[in-house]
Amino acid sequence: MNLQTDSSRQHLQQRLALFYLPVVAVFVIFAARLWQLQIIGGSDYALQAERNRIRNIQLVAPRGTITDRDGNPLVENRPSFNILLYRESIKDINATTAFLAARLKIHPDDFAELIQRSKGTGLYRPLVIKEDVGIDDISVVEVHKREHPELQLGPEPRRLYRHGTLASHVLGYVGEISDDELSKEIFPGARIGDLVGKFGVERTYNKPLTGRDGRRFVLVDSVGREVGLLDEVDPVIGGELRLTLDLELQTVADEMLADKIGAIVAMDPRNGEILAMASAPSFDPNSLSTRISLRDWQRMVDDPRKPLQNRAIQNAFPPGSTFKLIMAEAGLDEGFVDDLTRVTCTGVALYYNRPFRCALRQGHGTVDLENAIARSCNIFFYELGRRMGISLIAQHAQALGFGERSGIDLPGERSGIMPSPEWKQRVRGTKWFGGETISVSIGQGAVTSTPLQLVRAVSCLATGGELVTPHVLLRAEQLPEESALWPRRRVPIEEMSMRKIREGMWQSVNAWGTGHAAAVPGLDICGKTGTVQVIGAERRKDFSGDASIVEDHSWFVGFASKDDPEIAVVVFVEHGGKGGVTAAPIAREVFRTYFAKRKSPTLITEAARTARAGGQ
Amino acid sequence: MMMKVNQRLLASFDWVWFFALIGLCAAGLMEIWSTTGGTGLNSYFGRQMLYLGIALVVFLILLYFDYHIFSDNIPLLYAAGILALTLVLIVGRTVHSNRSWLCVGGIAVQPSELVKILVIIAVARYFAESERDHLQLNELIIGALIAFVPMALVVFQGDLGTAITFVPIYVALAVLGGLRRRHILVFLIAGAIALPAGWMMLKDYQKSRIQTVLNPSTDPQKVGYQTIQSKIAVGSGRFLGKGFRQGSQGQLGFLPARHTDFVFSAWAEERGFAGSIALLGLFLVVCLRLLKGAREAKDRLGTMICVGVLALLWFHLTINVGMALGLMPVAGIPLPFVSAGGSSLISSFAAMGICMNIWMRRYVN
Repeated sequence: MNLQTDSSRQHLQQRLALFYLPVVAVFVIFAARLWQLQIIGGSDYALQAERNRIRNIQLVAPRGTITDRDGNPLVENRPSFNILLYRESIKDINATTAFLAARLKIHPDDFAELIQRSKGTGLYRPLVIKEDVGIDDISVVEVHKREHPELQLGPEPRRLYRHGTLASHVLGYVGEISDDELSKEIFPGARIGDLVGKFGVERTYNKPLTGRDGRRFVLVDSVGREVGLLDEVDPVIGGELRLTLDLELQTVADEMLADKIGAIVAMDPRNGEILAMASAPSFDPNSLSTRISLRDWQRMVDDPRKPLQNRAIQNAFPPGSTFKLIMAEAGLDEGFVDDLTRVTCTGVALYYNRPFRCALRQGHGTVDLENAIARSCNIFFYELGRRMGISLIAQHAQALGFGERSGIDLPGERSGIMPSPEWKQRVRGTKWFGGETISVSIGQGAVTSTPLQLVRAVSCLATGGELVTPHVLLRAEQLPEESALWPRRRVPIEEMSMRKIREGMWQSVNAWGTGHAAAVPGLDICGKTGTVQVIGAERRKDFSGDASIVEDHSWFVGFASKDDPEIAVVVFVEHGGKGGVTAAPIAREVFRTYFAKRKSPTLITEAARTARAGGQ
Repeated sequence: MMMKVNQRLLASFDWVWFFALIGLCAAGLMEIWSTTGGTGLNSYFGRQMLYLGIALVVFLILLYFDYHIFSDNIPLLYAAGILALTLVLIVGRTVHSNRSWLCVGGIAVQPSELVKILVIIAVARYFAESERDHLQLNELIIGALIAFVPMALVVFQGDLGTAITFVPIYVALAVLGGLRRRHILVFLIAGAIALPAGWMMLKDYQKSRIQTVLNPSTDPQKVGYQTIQSKIAVGSGRFLGKGFRQGSQGQLGFLPARHTDFVFSAWAEERGFAGSIALLGLFLVVCLRLLKGAREAKDRLGTMICVGVLALLWFHLTINVGMALGLMPVAGIPLPFVSAGGSSLISSFAAMGICMNIWMRRYVN
């Protein structure tokens, strides 16, 4: 401790006195300033505070329209009104609650929950408390404007799916962005409260479809009335999307599945353009594309028939006998089958000490490859599978796109399974059994495929070895041209192999094979049926429950015409029974519609012609 | 013996001073409640109560020890402070573009707030040890280094508002230590060089904030917006204010940072001229008590520390209230004891604890 000398202490005290000046000065200045602001300018500032309520109104931009390949509108927008709540203008929350309950049928609990949930957002941001209101609600709000300035009508363009359930799985729906999507930044630039695509092309192409919101800065007085416009920026509509879908074909496809569970895909085998994609049961995106009412959505999610699932790409089933086409390609190109290959079918064959049956009890007799395809002989393919072994089968099936996503521009696609010994070891941890190869040879067992994968593989067989990427986008106004380049993969298939497979498929439809129900006079349709056993024939006899859930699944895949394939079709009907009985006639209607439109020039609009030319 | 000392100390505890501080905190809590709504445990109000509790504990602990313990150990404490600031630069957390927060076991603290107090003690001790009537040039330069090394670290954190508060501490202590005329001249020249250099270092938004003080109505929606809204808030409070939770400027969100940096504006809107003068009056009491403490301290060190704390408090008050009244540029500097925020409150009480300590031991040898 330094003891201070008297002199140094005196000096210090003198200098300390200096500090009183700034301390007192700043208080005098502040007091004077407060007097100036609060006493002299008080009434003036009070007026400014009253007037000082600037509302920033968001003008929601309409999303881009979506059309079919000919320009027929599929999704548009319609004007609608929401009732908005400006929390800053609430005078008495209880009065507002009572009014909402009495006049607008908003339950006090729902309202309280909404207020609670929105605590974090800025008070100036209006809450949508009722959306897409009718004329009754509109007049209630208008009439009570003075007593309830916190309630305002906010116009908002709403999605209009013109054809209701038509192509709903392709089009998808929109909804308010979820907290999860916000935090994961799935839609860059989107903010809380924005509508975004939740499913289908609405989701895949959310960005080009999204417009630019406009703004209105208005002055509102202390009771929330607009008293002046400060600035206005108009909204800009999102870009138009033209899909590869054909409205007529799509309509037929949807109608054919009306009371069934299943999927139809019609694709241009040359370029992968999806002409129609139907999945049933379907849903009405109009009722889902809302901000608030989750009731419909919850019902859809809970529905055991899973209407929200796009069965064309999200459901993988054993391909059944349609897989024989892939077996044929593998057998021909690997040299296990040639012109002279014959197998004698007696209706049953023994492999690994187990009987494997043919669909035809009494047997097909001696068959060659074309015959085996046309009449769907299991024994022929059992034998082929045994000779080739699972690895070769898997190799060829994978080359044709089995076990991998096709890369279609729709969300949620599944990859299906192409089993192999390595796969089984990895997934199930057990050894591959020879008997499994026999099952896989006729598309049963562990092999599964989505309808889209199957039609893609068959398209490759039809057109000469190009595996295309299926897609539903023809053109997007706001996407660069390059994004419309869809990758293709060359699959080495001998010309001869393809000719023999096509011949077998032609005979199946046109020479009293299993697919004859798909035949259309005058058209060279090639096809293959498939019937997937859900339960063994013996056990089925003893089954006592609902017979429809043990019914076989029904497949048909084909293309037309034989020498110049321009459309490939796959039909899958869950528990539909035999492929030749249920799926084949549906495919026939799709082929018939397609060629009827092609042959009748009046049906082909100018737009269609340019669209088709542009798509190639 | 021990009891005796304690009782003597207790008798010299200054209750007016203490209650002035409590009054400021009470006003702050009331306004935080008013502008942020909740009073729950995790609301701004609840957390501020918790911080106040911690701050009072710190205050009491600091009263117990003789203040020379701090000055005797200041080299160590100062080194720890520098270390903490360096650590912030490496592993600190960024809040509003300022990398000034350190996370310790889930609690975010701002070491820069506590380092200010260490700098006051360090510079005070260094200058107090000079036995002459005036400080020598080399003493001034070393004192400057003690103050401005941590300041530079705070500048690197991007927190210019906090960094600038080191300047008044140094200037006040240098003036108190005694400046020769020629040294004042050196100061002025150094300042003249530093000012443009400092201006260049400012970010664009900081420059425009300073420019808008000179002419606030040029751009109401952008940088001057906060100043205008604050003046409207203060002015519309008129004589008695609009009342608890009735201030439209604060309640409707026109007023920015209404519970932190602009808490004075919110208070002035709801409590009027009368409330504003009362709040300033409490600050005046605290400032005068600090000056009294400085005058009656038993040694140069005590005087120096009290003046250093006074300089810090005065500077915060001038900048913050000046900003609320549209007299100063908008800067992220809290109003001590009133603004919501734990680090500021705790470090403010810590500073007061040391000064009260000096006051209470003015006769003790």
